[in-house]
Amino acid sequence: MSKAGRILTGRDHGASSTVHCDVVVVGSGAGGSVLADRLTARGLAVVMLEEGGYWTRRSFDGREDHSYPRLYQEMGNRATDDQSVLILQGRNVGGGTTVNWCTSFRTPRTVLDHWRDQHGVKGLTEEALVPHWEAIEKRLHIAEWPLDRMNANNQVLWDGCGKLGYSRGLVRRNVNNCANLGYCGLGCPLDAKMAMGVTLIPDAVERGMTVQANASVRRLLVENRRVRGVEAQLLDPETDRPTGVALTVMAKTVAVCGGAINSPALLLRSGLDGNGNVGKRFFLHPVVIMSALMPEPVAPWSGAPQAAYSHHFIERGPGKLGFLLEVPPVMPLIGATVFPGFGEEHQQLMEELPFTQTSIAICRDGLLPEDTGGTVKLRDPAERRVSIDYPLRAFHFEAFREACKVMARIQLAAGAREVRSLHSRPVRIQKAADIDAALDSAAWEAGRVRVATAHQMGGCAMGADPRTSVVDSTLRYHGMDNLFVVDGSVFPTSLGVNPQESIFGIARWASQFVAAATA
Amino acid sequence: MDVPHPQPVPAGLSRRSLVKRGLLGGALLAAGGAGFLAFRGGAAVTLPPDGLLVFTPAQFAVLDAVARRMVRPRPGWPTVDEVGAARAADRIAARVEPSAQKELRQLLGLFENGLAGFVLGGRTRPFTRLQGREQDAVLADWRDSRLAVLRTGYAALRTLVLAGYYQSPSVWPAVGYAGPPGIFQDGPSQPEWRGGDTPRPDGNGVWHGEALP
Repeated sequence: MSKAGRILTGRDHGASSTVHCDVVVVGSGAGGSVLADRLTARGLAVVMLEEGGYWTRRSFDGREDHSYPRLYQEMGNRATDDQSVLILQGRNVGGGTTVNWCTSFRTPRTVLDHWRDQHGVKGLTEEALVPHWEAIEKRLHIAEWPLDRMNANNQVLWDGCGKLGYSRGLVRRNVNNCANLGYCGLGCPLDAKMAMGVTLIPDAVERGMTVQANASVRRLLVENRRVRGVEAQLLDPETDRPTGVALTVMAKTVAVCGGAINSPALLLRSGLDGNGNVGKRFFLHPVVIMSALMPEPVAPWSGAPQAAYSHHFIERGPGKLGFLLEVPPVMPLIGATVFPGFGEEHQQLMEELPFTQTSIAICRDGLLPEDTGGTVKLRDPAERRVSIDYPLRAFHFEAFREACKVMARIQLAAGAREVRSLHSRPVRIQKAADIDAALDSAAWEAGRVRVATAHQMGGCAMGADPRTSVVDSTLRYHGMDNLFVVDGSVFPTSLGVNPQESIFGIARWASQFVAAATA
Repeated sequence: MDVPHPQPVPAGLSRRSLVKRGLLGGALLAAGGAGFLAFRGGAAVTLPPDGLLVFTPAQFAVLDAVARRMVRPRPGWPTVDEVGAARAADRIAARVEPSAQKELRQLLGLFENGLAGFVLGGRTRPFTRLQGREQDAVLADWRDSRLAVLRTGYAALRTLVLAGYYQSPSVWPAVGYAGPPGIFQDGPSQPEWRGGDTPRPDGNGVWHGEALP
């Protein structure tokens, strides 16, 4: 008999059951997988529960209509309650790592310092994280993507920044023998992306971990200062509806790793509101977008999605949100829903897709004293859909406006014939001299300009003070002995960089505390 | 603008609270979309031969009418009928949670409702009875409305309908997209590792193919 564990789906159980283990990990994304890897390496018995399905290279056919329903939260249609911010978030075995664009940054020191100084976070220093980052980078082959393999979409950002004298950098990516196809967002068909589903999850399964896909954890079994386990309902892998079969996992320690929306929701469903802090300080790196009509084909769906970035505008002074510049891949279905207008105006934009370059500005929220972010709340507790409120304030719109101006300058400097904002009535600009006036007079209001996010953070903020935070500096829930939250929800602010490597690093660092609590 | 409600409104729901709650918070939808009145006098359309999963025929007619304005007949483009855009939108809605389905039904009712249309934009006829240009004007009114709830409704309806159309690979040629490269085609022959006694396959995490340019 092999000592390897199993990867099970919602179809693999005929009747409700209860299992026992050392640690139950709820969620299989960047946080849960790294944690499970380290805990199994210490010989602990781990059960990992994932609400989404188990999909592999077999199924990754590069089709948007197949991938969004299978691999994304709410089929790719998750949004704030008022629909003003589109939320792209993974939901599958591997979580966001299955569908992200491979961009890997270490956590900026300035952000770690801010957490120490403003939120009382202890011990989470760059020095403490470096060994964890190094180990992760080695296992996941994280390395700079070479300039000579950069696609045309990224080249516009790279060239434009160069011409305007803005600082620029090459993105580090977690890939091995990448063929530069560009389908990272729909699941890598070559297993070249070093996502959790093909790296640390199978590593942990080989050490005995059981993975249960299609398991929607409905509540934690809380008893005074301890959590005894979790209750899940199994979902049908095809329909995503409950099968009626329940799975209870009893454990010495519980790690909630569902991400910045689902982790706070699970705590709230379980009656844990962290003195009102659970679901608060929710940040999402709000993104504004500019598209550009280029003279030559761009094919924005082709080639490594993110290869160039600019941090030139990450520090913009007091009262202002800094922003990170990158580019997104664009395919027809997501492009159609994000590009503005309807009828012939919209169809014209879509016909120009092969010649369209798109740039994004990722705004660093949560570092200004007045920026308390959004809120995740429950709707009907019986449902999986939660309420997400992210009020867009004056400082957001100032950053959106200035970021759109910068992106327009870059795109025009790189040769764009016309640049377009993603307002519901788009602003179109042909000459750099017109940028300021055109964008100053645009409608900067929620629901009139497309805002999106692929980075969800906060909601279970870490900090020293239980009156203002949810977990302590070991990621243990304040006031509970054996409950940890290990994912991006513990960030007390956003980062200003793509979050996956920060989540990897913090999860790996925190695994020591989870292991110690389980002894 | 003070907005009276076309149907009795639950106590305590001022316009301000409706705006603050957002359209998918549901109150205005419940007021505008509930009951037979919302769909009285709407136009009939041909229903999908395999039926509807979420929407009523009247709700489907609204989806269908919106789809025809969202995607106009254009050389080289498949029509919304050829794609089955409204049917596909019904299938997409079938996978969302029941509460979201209810809100979508209400949204279509509010959009169609002539009385609500009069209150919100001055029209009295159901959306599906308007001429094409008039329908465009209604869509633009919602898009540009001072009421956040209507902008939210426009965004939700637009996304659902466009997803119903652009989910189809038959649209790819019209937008200059060749589709995924053929290298994807070996996917179904790949093993799916489930742990246990089976050794982890070489392909699970290791690609041995040539790096492509």
